[in-house]
Amino acid sequence: MFSRMIRGGIARQWRKLALMALAMALGTSLAVAMLNIMLDVGDKINRELKAYGANLTVVPRSAALLGDIYGAGAGEAGGKYLREDELPRLKTIFWAYNIVDFSPYLETRLRAESRGTEFPAVGAWFRKKLDLPTGESVVVGLAGLKTWWKVDGNWPEDGGGGGALLGRELARSLGLKAGDSLVFDGPDGKRRSLPVTGVFAGDGAEDGRAYLPLALVQEITGRAGLVGRLEVSALTTPENDLARRAAKSPASLSAREWETWYCTAYISSIAYQIEEVLTDARAKPLLQVSESEGTVLGKVELLMTLLTVLVLACTALALSNLVTAGVMERKTETGLLKAIGATDADVMLLVAVETFLTAAAGSAAGYGLGLFLSRSIGATVFGTAISVNPAVIPLAAIMTLLVATAGSLPAMRLLLSFRPAQVLHAK
Amino acid sequence: MGESGPDNILELIGVTMDYGQVKALNDVSMTVRRGEWLSIMGPSGSGKTTMMNIVGCLDRPTSGRVILDGEEISRLGGRALTTIRRDKIGLIFQQFHLAPYLTAVENVMLAQYYHSLPDEEEAMAALSRVGLSERAGHLPSQLSGGEQQRVCIARALINHPMLILADEPTGNLDEANEHMVLDIFRQLHSGGSAIIVVTHAHDVGARAERVVMLEHGRIAGIVEGRGIHGHRHDDAHA
Repeated sequence: MFSRMIRGGIARQWRKLALMALAMALGTSLAVAMLNIMLDVGDKINRELKAYGANLTVVPRSAALLGDIYGAGAGEAGGKYLREDELPRLKTIFWAYNIVDFSPYLETRLRAESRGTEFPAVGAWFRKKLDLPTGESVVVGLAGLKTWWKVDGNWPEDGGGGGALLGRELARSLGLKAGDSLVFDGPDGKRRSLPVTGVFAGDGAEDGRAYLPLALVQEITGRAGLVGRLEVSALTTPENDLARRAAKSPASLSAREWETWYCTAYISSIAYQIEEVLTDARAKPLLQVSESEGTVLGKVELLMTLLTVLVLACTALALSNLVTAGVMERKTETGLLKAIGATDADVMLLVAVETFLTAAAGSAAGYGLGLFLSRSIGATVFGTAISVNPAVIPLAAIMTLLVATAGSLPAMRLLLSFRPAQVLHAK
Repeated sequence: MGESGPDNILELIGVTMDYGQVKALNDVSMTVRRGEWLSIMGPSGSGKTTMMNIVGCLDRPTSGRVILDGEEISRLGGRALTTIRRDKIGLIFQQFHLAPYLTAVENVMLAQYYHSLPDEEEAMAALSRVGLSERAGHLPSQLSGGEQQRVCIARALINHPMLILADEPTGNLDEANEHMVLDIFRQLHSGGSAIIVVTHAHDVGARAERVVMLEHGRIAGIVEGRGIHGHRHDDAHA
């Protein structure tokens, strides 16, 4: 009998219930899209922010110590170096897939033959193909790390005779442009000539430098197989209290906390894991960058949370109006049910089941629409599809429950106020 | 005033009902015996419907006592009144008040559902009793006014109430249907049911054993029904 009454009620008010389902579908679709994006946006935004460079710098431990004592600039002065042959290990750590790009640096000073002036030169990887111990190959280097550089010309090839990439200021002071030759004297006293493959504008101190293949600078400086420092770009999770405590001292964490921290892509845990695989290395987060990333991410997530709450509140309001209107229309019927023996709970159950069934149907449709919406937003804003997160399904179910409950409350109060003597005799 | 005792199914003692400044019932006392057919008559605004609401446990009086089947009900809460209404009273309305999306038999079963368990066989028997077994599968919109009223009567009877309350049961019916409904009441009365009919119609009211005349919320007189005594009491209380 109950199901017959529900079916009858639905058939009788299908227009109103269809509107309720539509309101619910729209609300749920927006909320599901926001949730999907919110749960996936961390990586997306992180990848976007990775366009602005590295967020970790790795230096030899002794150089780091000197740097900590005497300040920045003590970099390679300590006389200790990182080993180039260990660098592929970065792609073998627990968070290997979060290491987006990296490049080693070996700095020196060269004397230009044309003007007789000294200039800073940096040995680096440009598009270095690495064969990993796992059998995979990856390409890393400045081309992926310095995506905001505007290069007039081409990136040099990695290898001894690959060519030179000059910063805009240096090229201007040396009177060189892409296609010219850079003739210089190295610390080893030998004169060399390299083709200038390109001139870049990075809008920073690097505009006054020349970037040469790492192997060449190692040869010039007599530091074969060594690098001075490393810049790493990694996808990270915003820092929290646990990460900040771990960054100070991982040893201070309990075993459970340590496991959580190690298995979360905090910048500090990635730095820790890099130190584990490189001999005598100290990985230091570029806090300004990583904190900015965290802040941006946090603000985007807050905005999306607020929008989701707002959308759900509007949906509950729309639902509330429609349910209340439906209850008003069925005032006499409710009075009759109460007159023949239905309790307040009985009539509330009837309206609640109708409302929740309608809300659930609307939500199911809204879920599908929300997935489509999140994919569209992902494609438009981030250039990639937002992945479907299964965690959104229970969240959508909870949202439906909350919105339907909140939307039904005013109608339920009204329902309780109906007295059969009044509604049946209109006294 | 009738005498109080186990023979009475209903006693009203000094019942008053105020709606703000308006006294819909003013110090009304009366009794209804078990198995009695009583009519309540009076002009509009005399307090008939208010009395029906109070007797039918749809409302509580402002003051006074209402005793139904030996139980004082005038101060009971909403849930307790619902239980009494469900178990002891069968309500028949002028406007029929059938659920429009349920068939005739389902409308009868609705009262069973809120009372105990729906039993289609029993509901069909109730419809047969009012001559509607052929129309059991029809929706209210497919039934005439008289047929809808008979469904309403079947619904009122289905839980075997000790008191049937009918509010203008023939008010919306033509003469043929009016006779049919009154015949059903007569059969119920013969079967021992107590019936209270609120009506404007004298010929309907006169079918009762006693007619209580209301005026301005007070009992103006008691008239014996047709074929029993046929004279008017001067006493203000029944």
